[in-house]
Amino acid sequence: MKLVGAILILLTTTWTGFEAARMLHERPRQLRQLKAALQALEAEIMYAHTPLSEAALHISRQISLPLSKLFEQFAAKLQVGEASVQQAWEESLQDVWETTALKQGELEIMKQFGETLGQYDRHTQQKQIALALVHLEREEADALERQARYEKMAKSLGVLVGLLLVILLI
Amino acid sequence: MGMDVDVIFKIAGVGIVIAFLHTVLDQMGKKEYAQWVTLLGFIYILFMVASIVSDLFQKIKDVFLFQG
Repeated sequence: MKLVGAILILLTTTWTGFEAARMLHERPRQLRQLKAALQALEAEIMYAHTPLSEAALHISRQISLPLSKLFEQFAAKLQVGEASVQQAWEESLQDVWETTALKQGELEIMKQFGETLGQYDRHTQQKQIALALVHLEREEADALERQARYEKMAKSLGVLVGLLLVILLI
Repeated sequence: MGMDVDVIFKIAGVGIVIAFLHTVLDQMGKKEYAQWVTLLGFIYILFMVASIVSDLFQKIKDVFLFQG
């Protein structure tokens, strides 16, 4: 009975540690995807002249899961056409954000980007996208540094804390 | 004697785990957390040892200073 409890505690803390490490690992990857998505959006606006809802739909098919939901919802909300672009963007951000590994800083950047979306002509829009990209670049450097520093630590910390708890409780 | 061996192993286990935690935290540049962990482990072991030593003294009292 004691052994079962010990194994359960150990498994839980180890899993927590690995989950934290996975978050650290996912963040730079998702930031890269977000950048790619914005670049695709720029191309759609500048060269293909597609409407925003179709562009968002195209992008949602190009990128992988947690972030593709963002553009999918955005496109759906635009097609219904009840909310303004900014509202639609912000609502889809709120809905999707919980499922991603991204943080508050990126959320603010994306919100600010959403405020400019669909307000100006194409060239100003391009500049806004470039601005958002620069901000995301900075966040990505930060995320990469954090990953290098803390990913291993989170894993070993999980296992070690579990061991310590087990020894203390025996 | 069984209980004594148990306690020794427990102290050794806590020592090893705390040492690992200290190195891991130290390497990642969290020196202050590492020191806190070590201090807490030390205090925990100290309390354990103190209770065992008080047991020992009680036993010595019972053997040499018995009154009625």
